Amino acid sequence: MPQPPPNHPPGPAIDEEDILQAMREVPGYLDITPQDFRQVYGRAYAHALQRLRRGRPAEQIMTREVAAVAADAPLVEAARIMAQRRVSGLPVLQNGRVVGVLSEKDFLGAMGAQGGRHFMEVVARCLTQGACLAAPLRAALAGELMSSPAVTVGPRRSTTEIAEIMRSKDINRVPVVDGQGRLLGIVSRADLLRAGGPA
Amino acid sequence: MSYWAKMRGSSQSPPGVGLAEVLWSWLGAFLGIAAVALLNQYWLAGTDLLLIIGSFGASAVLIYGAVKSPLAQPRNLMGGHLISAVIGVACYQWLGQVPWLAAAVAVATAIAAMHASKTLHPPGGASALIAVIGSPQIHALGFFYVLVPVGLGAAVMLAVALLVNNLAPQRRYPEFWL
Repeated sequence: MPQPPPNHPPGPAIDEEDILQAMREVPGYLDITPQDFRQVYGRAYAHALQRLRRGRPAEQIMTREVAAVAADAPLVEAARIMAQRRVSGLPVLQNGRVVGVLSEKDFLGAMGAQGGRHFMEVVARCLTQGACLAAPLRAALAGELMSSPAVTVGPRRSTTEIAEIMRSKDINRVPVVDGQGRLLGIVSRADLLRAGGPA
Repeated sequence: MSYWAKMRGSSQSPPGVGLAEVLWSWLGAFLGIAAVALLNQYWLAGTDLLLIIGSFGASAVLIYGAVKSPLAQPRNLMGGHLISAVIGVACYQWLGQVPWLAAAVAVATAIAAMHASKTLHPPGGASALIAVIGSPQIHALGFFYVLVPVGLGAAVMLAVALLVNNLAPQRRYPEFWL
């Protein structure tokens, strides 16, 4: 088997026979040697890896049609929007600016879950103490329960940085805002997963 | 890699082509050269002009035989021939009294200019050389050599390449224009 050339860039292990076979499958005369092809391919592969590691800007992968709620909206309205849009969190807006994020975690906290604010904590409290009613939340407003200030990013922040923000702050979505704090979109963990796959 | 080891080569020849490719190459070259040669023989008969020069045989190899090659694309075919022809005529007129020097400067400069303009087309080197070592008939054309035979002949060959190569189901031409 032919050996890779020196300084062969990282890439999938293809040998010259693979390349020759592929060249035979392309109709017409290809004006390139297998080794030239492998060198180009290996370098292109390395560039693609580098590009993926750098990440893409938030504006390229964000969800643009964002469900949001006004700070003075009743919590029940926020809950309905979350249910309808099947999302677990909403940016909260005041005068067109993102002032916080309201998520399932905030609801769980208000319903008796402590610390980890996990749904099963609510269930456990409910089963042992019967204190599981969401009723105290009935009169509350979105702006009272939200987590604030909102953790937001600008449209040029990279997916790599956003993933790090989500990890360190333990959050699942990051609103994307312009210089005035106006909502442009939102990047969720699902958006990041999609962006990491084949573009 | 050491100087001597480089001479051993390190890759292998690309695969050969099938019979259909061979036949389409033959047909394209036949029609392309026939068009130029017929025009040369009948249309330009009795004039001091000519339309066919040796470098077109080399162009035919590329534009009918290696249609995907970057060297065979219209930019390279036309640009390479025209630029090289200008350089060839200029070298003959300035250095023609020292024939070996004129020939060498013409071809070397043609290659450099084709590289610089991204129009590398090997037959361009021949067009530059023919301007220097060609017949008295060629020399008499002066810079008109750039237009006829070089520019017009290459354009006729290009037209045939567009018409014939795209008839072949497995071929398409060009890969790019500019």
